[in-house]
Amino acid sequence: MMEPTAYLLLSGILFGIGVAGVVARKNALIILMSVEIMLNAVNVAFIAVGSHLGDPTGSIFAFMVMTVAAAEAAVGLAILIAIYRLKETIDITELSVLKW
Amino acid sequence: MPLGNFASLIHFLPELAVTATILLLVVVHVAGKNRQSAAPALLSLAGVGAALLLAALQPASAGRSLFEGMVALDGFAIFFKALTALATIVVIFMSMDSGELAGRSQAEYYIFLLSVLLGMFLLTASTDIVMLYLSLELVSIPSYLLAGYLKGRESSTEAAMKYVVYGATASGVMIYGFSLLYGLTGTTQIGEIGRALATGDAPLPVLLAAVMVTVGFGFKIAAVPFHMWSPDVYEGAPTPITAFLSVGPKAAGFAVLVRFFYTVFASPDVAAGVWKISSRVDWTLLFGVLSAVTMSVGNLVAVNQTNVKRLLAYSSIAHAGYMLMGFVLLTPAGLQAILFYLVVYLFMNLGAFYVVILVANGTRSENISDYSGLGSRAPFAAVSLAIFLFALTGIPPFSGFIGKVYLFAEVINRGVYWLAVVAALNSVVSLYYYARIVKVMFLEDPKDSTELPVPLFPRSVLCFLAIPTLLLGVYWEPVARVAANSVKLLAF
Amino acid sequence: MEPILFIIFGAIAVGGAIMVVTRKHPMSSALYLILTLFAVAALFVLRQAHFLAAIQVIVYAGAVMVLFIFVIMLINVPENKLPMERLTGLRLLGVVAAGFLILESAILARRFAMPAGSTADAGSVQAVGRALFTDYLLAFEITSVLLLAAVIGAIALAKRKI
Repeated sequence: MMEPTAYLLLSGILFGIGVAGVVARKNALIILMSVEIMLNAVNVAFIAVGSHLGDPTGSIFAFMVMTVAAAEAAVGLAILIAIYRLKETIDITELSVLKW
Repeated sequence: MPLGNFASLIHFLPELAVTATILLLVVVHVAGKNRQSAAPALLSLAGVGAALLLAALQPASAGRSLFEGMVALDGFAIFFKALTALATIVVIFMSMDSGELAGRSQAEYYIFLLSVLLGMFLLTASTDIVMLYLSLELVSIPSYLLAGYLKGRESSTEAAMKYVVYGATASGVMIYGFSLLYGLTGTTQIGEIGRALATGDAPLPVLLAAVMVTVGFGFKIAAVPFHMWSPDVYEGAPTPITAFLSVGPKAAGFAVLVRFFYTVFASPDVAAGVWKISSRVDWTLLFGVLSAVTMSVGNLVAVNQTNVKRLLAYSSIAHAGYMLMGFVLLTPAGLQAILFYLVVYLFMNLGAFYVVILVANGTRSENISDYSGLGSRAPFAAVSLAIFLFALTGIPPFSGFIGKVYLFAEVINRGVYWLAVVAALNSVVSLYYYARIVKVMFLEDPKDSTELPVPLFPRSVLCFLAIPTLLLGVYWEPVARVAANSVKLLAF
Repeated sequence: MEPILFIIFGAIAVGGAIMVVTRKHPMSSALYLILTLFAVAALFVLRQAHFLAAIQVIVYAGAVMVLFIFVIMLINVPENKLPMERLTGLRLLGVVAAGFLILESAILARRFAMPAGSTADAGSVQAVGRALFTDYLLAFEITSVLLLAAVIGAIALAKRKI
């Protein structure tokens, strides 16, 4: 099997793309998807290291991250629906009743 | 030697009590016809009360590792369990009185509240980063829901949206840091990570991991520059939840910050009675600067606020800055000062928010200008708010003063004078805006001079919060001793 | 064989991720995200993490992304009401941050001192299941509370009336 170095690099690249999406986009849906990319990047690192060490902990951690991602997506999307009903927008910079 | 899964259950009673209450609440919600009945609130009170009792009965002397090393049972964990359970009980009282929550479905609210409590119990006890991550999310995700509970009110839903975006990003960064630590050491037990890092030699990845983990924890305690969410969330959320977030999860955040950094990046030097930084990450300066910046930003921005909730939000950022002073010193006395301050802070901050709720119930306003003449309209509430605000400022003879004395004494003792000077200047700034509210309440004429009635029940809860705030200012010895005992066991 | 497949699937994952964060319409982003998730699942297979690969496809690409697409269809923002994205300072900052993270991960990957490897079975259903129900049992149980709270919360907030 390959050394995990290349996987860690890939994980860093994916994580960077995810962070860029969160910081740069205004569309709340795409921001939530960018968060999913960040979490996937983390999972790549966990799996790469776990299989290198022959340790199932990497898989367990990735499993937990997926569970949390599912819960976070459900809650985030529910809040997004609530916001859209109230304000007819999913632009995160237009949420200005409170100063952003 | 960690206990196995079944053998651990007997030491896990507070958590089990909370979990059972959550499940009962689900049943009550499904079976009950009246969505607005007080049954969920009373049930939660009973459950959290039982959890508090069970936590207090746990033997603090035995430092145990439970569930194959997932969580620890030590004085530190028990202290924070009791603290967060107490905060939750007060918040349940506040929620029962809150006009904002009246007429809304109750059971869900308490399910989320108790889920956060369970998360805080586990977060303060976690000794494995898998568990740590999960319990942090168990604190965060229901908090998003609680912040957005006032559906139909724009500010509340917006607060939830901002909270989710910031929270998910911060926890994503934190988990990336965890993945680096796991890659470097090949283990998820924080004790073993600490030992592996002490011998390893990879300063750059470790530093990066430390910074990324700090983002996650800094978000929870709302330290600058990870505080951006907190003023908006604190203003938009229902006031009992604002009070809850500013005390409970913040305390849990401090607990996990202390446990994680002291175990992973430092090792106890028993002979000298201090911790020594064992890996190459010298985080004391980093956190010293973080502490100074946090208190300064919190206090300076608070000065201009016109909304009381927002003002208290910035003031709670500033208090996180004060408490971070104890964290940077690497001494047991510094940690003891944090724990003591958290107890004092619980009473004074929850008390201040309680008065805000009572006033908002009467006036439907949270603006400072609407507090004018409160001294004559509702003398009891005004006097107690004054007590809480002066305690928050840290003026003798109130308990906030003793808390600050502990923090300052240790900082000066260790020769970090610049931090003490910054903190002292900040206290002066904070006096200005706290005293402004008191001035408005007692010296300005009311716009509307009708009396604001404060019923008997809120009165007694206010007394329950005000008496410790006063008493701990003159007789603090027992609490200080408990705090000192709770820190002792952390060294292992 | 592994390096070639790694490059192919890694490129698909990165390309998909770039498309996710650059598309205007969320639906295109969601479809590209599914592509990325599949490529990541393939990488999991390459690392012998069969259980996680299956979960990735079934739960992530299946359930979670269906939820996303369902919400996109439900709120169905008209094309002209999608947020206008312009090149702002913040956006530039995002790209700079991403570049920095990627650069730093390249340096990191070279200097990463990893503990010695082992060829023990780490990702099969048996290995993961055994660890999940012994060492990590408490964590597994806690996820149930987390999911319960999330489910109740999602219903409570998305419902029209509490």
